[in-house]
Amino acid sequence: MSQHILRTYDDELKEVRSVVVRMGGLAAEQLADSMRALRDQDIDLAEETRAADKALDALEVLAENTVVGVFARRAPVADDLREVVSALKMTTMIERMGDYAKNIARRSISIAEAQGVVLMPHLLDEMATEAHEMIQDVMDAYVQRGAEEAIAVWERDEHLDNMYNAAYRQILARMMETPEHIATLSHYLMIAKNLERIGDQATNVAEQVYYTITGKFLEEARQAKGQG
Amino acid sequence: MNAVVEPLVATESKPKMTIRDVHVHYEDVHAVKGIDLDLYSDKVTALIGPSGCGKSTLLRCLNRMNDTISDCRVQGQIYLDGQDIYASDIDVVQLRARVGMVFQKPNPFPKSIYDNVAYGPRIHGLATDREALDEIVEASLEKAGLWQEVKDRLDHQGTALSGGQQQRLCIARAIAVNPEVILMDEPCSSLDPIATAKVEALIDELSGRYAIVIVTHSMQQAARVSQKTVFFHLGEMIEYGDTTQIFTAPQQEQTRDYITGRIG
Repeated sequence: MSQHILRTYDDELKEVRSVVVRMGGLAAEQLADSMRALRDQDIDLAEETRAADKALDALEVLAENTVVGVFARRAPVADDLREVVSALKMTTMIERMGDYAKNIARRSISIAEAQGVVLMPHLLDEMATEAHEMIQDVMDAYVQRGAEEAIAVWERDEHLDNMYNAAYRQILARMMETPEHIATLSHYLMIAKNLERIGDQATNVAEQVYYTITGKFLEEARQAKGQG
Repeated sequence: MNAVVEPLVATESKPKMTIRDVHVHYEDVHAVKGIDLDLYSDKVTALIGPSGCGKSTLLRCLNRMNDTISDCRVQGQIYLDGQDIYASDIDVVQLRARVGMVFQKPNPFPKSIYDNVAYGPRIHGLATDREALDEIVEASLEKAGLWQEVKDRLDHQGTALSGGQQQRLCIARAIAVNPEVILMDEPCSSLDPIATAKVEALIDELSGRYAIVIVTHSMQQAARVSQKTVFFHLGEMIEYGDTTQIFTAPQQEQTRDYITGRIG
């Protein structure tokens, strides 16, 4: 895309984009770390992951300030308006992903400290891999300005939802089989929910990426396509 | 005789003015190139584009202000309620009462505030007596949001008012002859932000009653006051659409580059 006559305007928009990308990277990393802490019962790593969430929170504040500054100074319109409005929404969504990862880390500590060994349902690993890929792919779509790639991420959410339903049934069955492990299994159930929610947020980010690029709302565009 | 001109887009309301294949030449310069556009009574239409894009030239065609410029040739058709305004039997003075104009620089007559507003109704014979004229002057100043500020000094010189007040006086003067269309050529470019806000508030107030067409260099002003926006470039109409759509998701790259301040 051609540059603004005011170079400093381009610099500010680059800064906004850069914060979004950094946040996406951090959220993916936090998710990977929290799952590693869970698998390895690594309490130190879990604590580090929880602490790392502060960096994500700080970036969200930075994004807010940068976007407010762009609004105040530049009165953005058209592509620029969509860019900054979407960035503001995306950073909130990504920050929520970090919160879910933090919650997984916190629960991994409770699981590690619990009496007895309760194996992690294998579906959680698959869900985490899927959610992690969704974050990476939606951030790639954002950087590459790929509307079709954003749609592809959006469409994968159903798969993650199905995985969550399967995990839910699996964990519930184990709760009935081994009621003495209900406390630990409840943590696993909540972790499955957190992973499903991370996927939801990645889907929401995909909608914003699509809107940023095309100026159209993804849901409306899909409906129009369906009718056409 | 009035022509039946099909609107460009089927809508519930009928266009007040229809512009069809309008070209304007100044000697060898082709300033406006084949414009088709509909203007509606319940809409403010903003004309935007870089200097020299033809927007003011087109605006001046709408009440034949270009007639006064020698070497200016206007081709095509412009209809006001289906009546060709370039037809030979058109009374141009009458046309300019129906299609009023407010200019970039406020230009009150060197007369009293009262006479500035009363001038038009007097020459068009709109008032039968002094009482009726008083009513028109008060109503016009009221509509222009100026009555409260000037009602105790109607005999003062119009030129002694502040810039913003002078511009609203000019709007009152345009309103006084019951126009159907009001053309505004950068009406706020010489005003400070407060006076600008007052004129914009006035445009909002008037927008349901008159077809308003405003030429502005301020993107934010176009976004604030209009419901329809037209982007011109090098004499051509590049894009026409709902103002919200133009300023959030313009369809043409040239529009995007212009309104976002990019090098085209």
